Amino acid sequence: MEIIMIVLAGILFGFAVYNILQKQLLRIIIGTALLSHAAHLFILTMGKLKRGSSPVLTEGTESYSDPLPQALILTSIVISFGVTSLLLVLAYRAVKTNGTDNMEELRGNDHD
Amino acid sequence: MTNFAILPILIPFIAGILLAFTHNRILLTRRLAMLFAIVHLMTMGFLLYKVLVDGSIVLEAGDWSAPYGIILVLDPLSTLLVLTSSIILLAVVWYAPASVSEEQEGFYFYTFVFLLVTGVSGAFITGDLFNLFVFFEVLLMASYALITHGGKKVQLRESIKYVLINLFSSMLFVTAVSYIYAVLGTVNMAQLAERAAASDQPGIITTVAILLFFVFATKGAAFPLYYWMPHSYIVPNPVVSALFGALLTKVGVYSLIRTFTLIFHQQPEIMDQLFIWVGNLTMLFGVIGALASRNIKLIVAYNIIPAIGFMLVGIGIFNHDGLSGSIYYLLQDMIVKAALFLLAGTIAAVAGTSDINKMGGMIRSHPVLGWMFFIAGLVLAGVPPFSGFIGKLLLVRGAFEKGETTTVIIMLLTSLLILLSIVRAFIRIFWGEGEAIKQQTRHSARSLLPAGLLMLFTVFLGIGAEAILPTVQQISDYLLNPQEYIDLVLKGGR
Amino acid sequence: MIVAILMPFLIAMCIPFIAKFKYRIHTGYAVFATSLSIFLYFLVLLISGETETLYRYSWIPSLGLDLTFYTDGLALFFALLISGIGALVAFYSIFYLNLEERLGSFYVYLLLFMGAMLGIVTSDNIYALYTFWELTSVSSFLLISFWFTRKASTDGALKSMLITFLGGFSLLGGLVLLHLVTGSTSIREILTQGDLILASDWFPLIVVLLLLAACTKSAQFPFHIWLPDAMEAPTPVSAYLHSATMVKAGLFLLLRFTPVFKESEAFFIAVSIIGLVTLFWGSYMAVRQTDLKGILAYSTISQLGMIMAMIGYGTEAAIFAAMFHILNHATFKGSLFMAVGIIDHETGTRNIRKLGGLWKLMPVTGIISILASFSMAGVPLPILNGFYSKEEFFSSSWDLSADRAFGSDFAALLANIVPYAAVAGSIFTFVYSMYFYFRTFTGKAEKTTAEKAHDPKFGMLAAPVLLVSGVLLISIFPNWFSRHLLQPAANAVYGDAMKEHSIHFWHGFVPALIMSLIVVVLGVLFYITRKYWMGLYNVLPGKLSGNIVYASLLSASENQTKRLNDRIVSGSIRQYNAIIISVISIVTLLILFGTNSFDLRNIDTSPVSLPQSLPELAVALIMIAAAFGSTVSQKKLTAVIILGVVGYGLSILFVLFRAPDLALTQLSIETITVVLFLLCFRHLPEIKRERKEKLSKKITNIIIASLCGLMMMLVGLAAYSQRLFPSISDYFVKYSYKLGGGDNIVNVILVDFRGLDTLFEITVLAIAALGIYSLIKLRQKEGDR
Repeated sequence: MEIIMIVLAGILFGFAVYNILQKQLLRIIIGTALLSHAAHLFILTMGKLKRGSSPVLTEGTESYSDPLPQALILTSIVISFGVTSLLLVLAYRAVKTNGTDNMEELRGNDHD
Repeated sequence: MTNFAILPILIPFIAGILLAFTHNRILLTRRLAMLFAIVHLMTMGFLLYKVLVDGSIVLEAGDWSAPYGIILVLDPLSTLLVLTSSIILLAVVWYAPASVSEEQEGFYFYTFVFLLVTGVSGAFITGDLFNLFVFFEVLLMASYALITHGGKKVQLRESIKYVLINLFSSMLFVTAVSYIYAVLGTVNMAQLAERAAASDQPGIITTVAILLFFVFATKGAAFPLYYWMPHSYIVPNPVVSALFGALLTKVGVYSLIRTFTLIFHQQPEIMDQLFIWVGNLTMLFGVIGALASRNIKLIVAYNIIPAIGFMLVGIGIFNHDGLSGSIYYLLQDMIVKAALFLLAGTIAAVAGTSDINKMGGMIRSHPVLGWMFFIAGLVLAGVPPFSGFIGKLLLVRGAFEKGETTTVIIMLLTSLLILLSIVRAFIRIFWGEGEAIKQQTRHSARSLLPAGLLMLFTVFLGIGAEAILPTVQQISDYLLNPQEYIDLVLKGGR
Repeated sequence: MIVAILMPFLIAMCIPFIAKFKYRIHTGYAVFATSLSIFLYFLVLLISGETETLYRYSWIPSLGLDLTFYTDGLALFFALLISGIGALVAFYSIFYLNLEERLGSFYVYLLLFMGAMLGIVTSDNIYALYTFWELTSVSSFLLISFWFTRKASTDGALKSMLITFLGGFSLLGGLVLLHLVTGSTSIREILTQGDLILASDWFPLIVVLLLLAACTKSAQFPFHIWLPDAMEAPTPVSAYLHSATMVKAGLFLLLRFTPVFKESEAFFIAVSIIGLVTLFWGSYMAVRQTDLKGILAYSTISQLGMIMAMIGYGTEAAIFAAMFHILNHATFKGSLFMAVGIIDHETGTRNIRKLGGLWKLMPVTGIISILASFSMAGVPLPILNGFYSKEEFFSSSWDLSADRAFGSDFAALLANIVPYAAVAGSIFTFVYSMYFYFRTFTGKAEKTTAEKAHDPKFGMLAAPVLLVSGVLLISIFPNWFSRHLLQPAANAVYGDAMKEHSIHFWHGFVPALIMSLIVVVLGVLFYITRKYWMGLYNVLPGKLSGNIVYASLLSASENQTKRLNDRIVSGSIRQYNAIIISVISIVTLLILFGTNSFDLRNIDTSPVSLPQSLPELAVALIMIAAAFGSTVSQKKLTAVIILGVVGYGLSILFVLFRAPDLALTQLSIETITVVLFLLCFRHLPEIKRERKEKLSKKITNIIIASLCGLMMMLVGLAAYSQRLFPSISDYFVKYSYKLGGGDNIVNVILVDFRGLDTLFEITVLAIAALGIYSLIKLRQKEGDR
């Protein structure tokens, strides 16, 4: 099962990168969203999957799934959310101000 | 006593929050900011004294002992670096009113600055790899806010690139942390070090280390990952550029020094060569960029890169002199880069342009500015008796000890080209024909003091090197012997 | 002694204040007094015979850098030269520079230079020596560009700085190696370990690096090109730095280390050849110059080459002759420079073609010039010191193969050729000396210059007159100078075993005299016939000039770098990402397989039982399909909504893998994100059909994306399968309730075990909120600073 999940995460990573390499800002942002999903899936898989019950202490349960990666993912999800929202607003402002959402047209030169 | 270890992050953190509430009263905000910066500096001075006299301070946050809780470690290296950043913070806060518009100041400018420093300080003192990621995000988020602050066209354009690259490397970072967790079962740096050393040097640790290397090298703007840096550093206000130039890339380098001396010095034959060659190429390509630029701010920004190369080479040399050289270079480069950005900002403001080909003869109206810039150039090129020389000498010595002659040649050549880039700018800006510019002299006089303060420190780090150097050399030995750190954090046993 | 060496620096600090009163008293007097007192101090030291003195101050001991000054014969010889000529130059400058100039800056630089130069010659510590060495380069840079509004000045200054710093940095490398090999930073101690150095593997590199330093500083071929351009400096500076002192620092460096180097044949070969080539090339090029200072600059290069060659010989006689010529050169060249300064001052030009017949107008200057230039030419007269030292040069060249045994055939051959080369190189020296004098002082006077030119007042003449009387004094009492000045200096270099040298005008018809005569005869011949062979200059140097190389390098450093850099740092985020991602992926993959770490021994590779894992598999497939869908979708709305599917899929996976908290968080955050996307995207343009996209580009992107995904996947698999240690999580499971007081382990970790993370995670959100707020609200005007 881990193999499958790692493969899935890898494929998502690939799609994310492909989108990031596009010209259009919209595509790139979609890429970053995919990227964080892939990363979180990786983290989850690195703890063991489905080897125990949910990490909520209950009577009589001996083994729990690894709680630490889950905690890390929670932190990471919140942070990614912050970054994504900022990026979205930034993109919106940048497109409005520069009048294009094609990153190839947003190269600039030394003196501006 | 151990609770002191929270102060380096607590003071700027509280300052940042408090200043968010006073943002409408600019005068008060400015004064408070200055006050906090001074308090921070003094606290750090005191803490450094404590650390040097009584030994490192380890704080187990929430009283959870390592490796389970998060550990904050004030050892000589991290304390020295936080102290250096607090000097820069003071200069920046002091300079800000001369350059940042009141409108901007009202929009949480100081909050962002202080929270950036919170993130930087946290990254320096944390002893937990995932916590390092969190502090990275704090400083990055503050830097996103600062780079876009003002919302000009160029700023928006360059900041998108900046955010995107950093976002990618952050995601890579957090994934790499999870990999290392899978392999070694922990995220506490001391325990990682212990376990990595106890393991049989499996290649997988090296592989994950490489991923982390790229993460930090991207933040640190090493070859071939530096592209995003120069242009994005020059678009915000010069104050922000100074803060970025002095602190952000250096956090990347610090993380490399910390993790690669402590945890990942596995398979040194691969690692050392990687550092050395990435360092060599970073020096060369960075200085090429500096030579290619006609924009004074860009020249300064590009000059960050070869300095990073020097530090990387020092890590790769991995002996007493090499590491001392890297650390010394790191310390002094933070200060001189901040000074240079402030000076470049003043030059551009006075001249009304940042194109060096359009300036000339400014030495007549701004001699102090000119000579400070000139001396800063000599510092950068490592001309004695200034601070750059001390680091360079140690690096050259270390490289020769290791038999890396090519690297020495590249280092010396790079120094020469750095000198060329700065002196050429100096000649075009300050010498030659061109009428003296009389306007806005008030502006420049006011903004010279903070830069002057920084220059004073640089000169001191050169001529008075003896005050710091023995400490740096101790740090270098301490880094070469990771067991000391491990014992410090893990208290010898679990 | 420390006072004497640091005095220039101390006075330099006071100069800005003194310069405020420049209209009442010329600032130069302060500098003159300073240098004169230093000169007298060293003179007393010399006469008292107390040659060995020492001062030690620990500066940066952790680096091995301390200020240890000591004087032996060599240091004293140079110190006297520096302070003596310095005093004369300062005095001369009082009349040369008028009060409107920035006297303060000028004298600060001059004193910095003097102090640094004294530091070089008296330092025992190699790093201190290096520090002073670089300081001379910096002060020379500032002095050359004293008239900073002229482009020629600043160009010349930049050139000299680059070339001398090239040498400076290589000096640093050489000195560090000496430190490493001998374990000492004291020159005296290093010199006692000559055998160790000679036997070391680093020895060839040490020689190369130190030679590079010496050759750049002392303007040896092909690094000589900076010196002619340095003539843009005010003439006192040229006389002082660029003929008498700074350019001799390179010679000094080699002399300092001669006790070690003289044993090496490679050193002999390299230095002799460089010296002789420079001697020849400098004198050859001097003849071509039209600027008086240009002639003198090339002449200086040539003379330095000659001294260099003698240092290369390394024999007793040669070292002694080198010292002698250093002294003589300072006297006659210094006075010639000052004479040129006077001519320039009086006639307003230094162009030799516009000059002539000055003899009648300025007789005193004429006398100075004829004595000095004939001495430079080596005209055999008993009153010209240049002849004496040239004679010594010839005789040391002639005796070389007898005085020194050589191991290799090449070295022996070279030793036999040396005398002929010496003669050949000296012929042009004779020619340009004659050219310099006769073209300026005889013949017809130009109308324009003749009107106002006359000898200047006494003050300006005093310094050159004193220097020229030095020429005479040395010639009349050569042995006094030899005993008190030259012999101790040569002893310091060669060791006390050196036998006493006495200098005579007449030795009989020895080879050296014959060589001198050949030079004179051929020189006269060449001078008279110069019209017929001047065309040679179009062929050589022609396009081979070092200046052309320098110029193209300099322009490349600006233009080629720009071209290259623009290509790399193109501003295209797409290109950045492509490079960054592919580098990361490829290198990591290489390391992964290079270290053989792709190994799946511990992973559970048992086939997945379908019915049990069906939900996970299904979700995974849906997620992949959705990711694909949002990538290819042409409508922004669709793309965003399909993207949401991936996020919701992830939260279902979280549920399946027993991570309820995650699932909840992911669910709510995904929802907010999608809403936010939609809000912002309403204003973003519609996705364009990427018809402009080239297929090759598309394929490249696909390759990079697959590489990166593959890399992450493989490293993940490898990491997962090699779990070397138990996780620390067991502790959390165990103590979550006992110590943390909570059932939900993840929550306990978040708020307690790792509370700091959470605190700053919230901080990140807060900063993001404030950042977004200012992004939206704060809009500064463009161009506003």
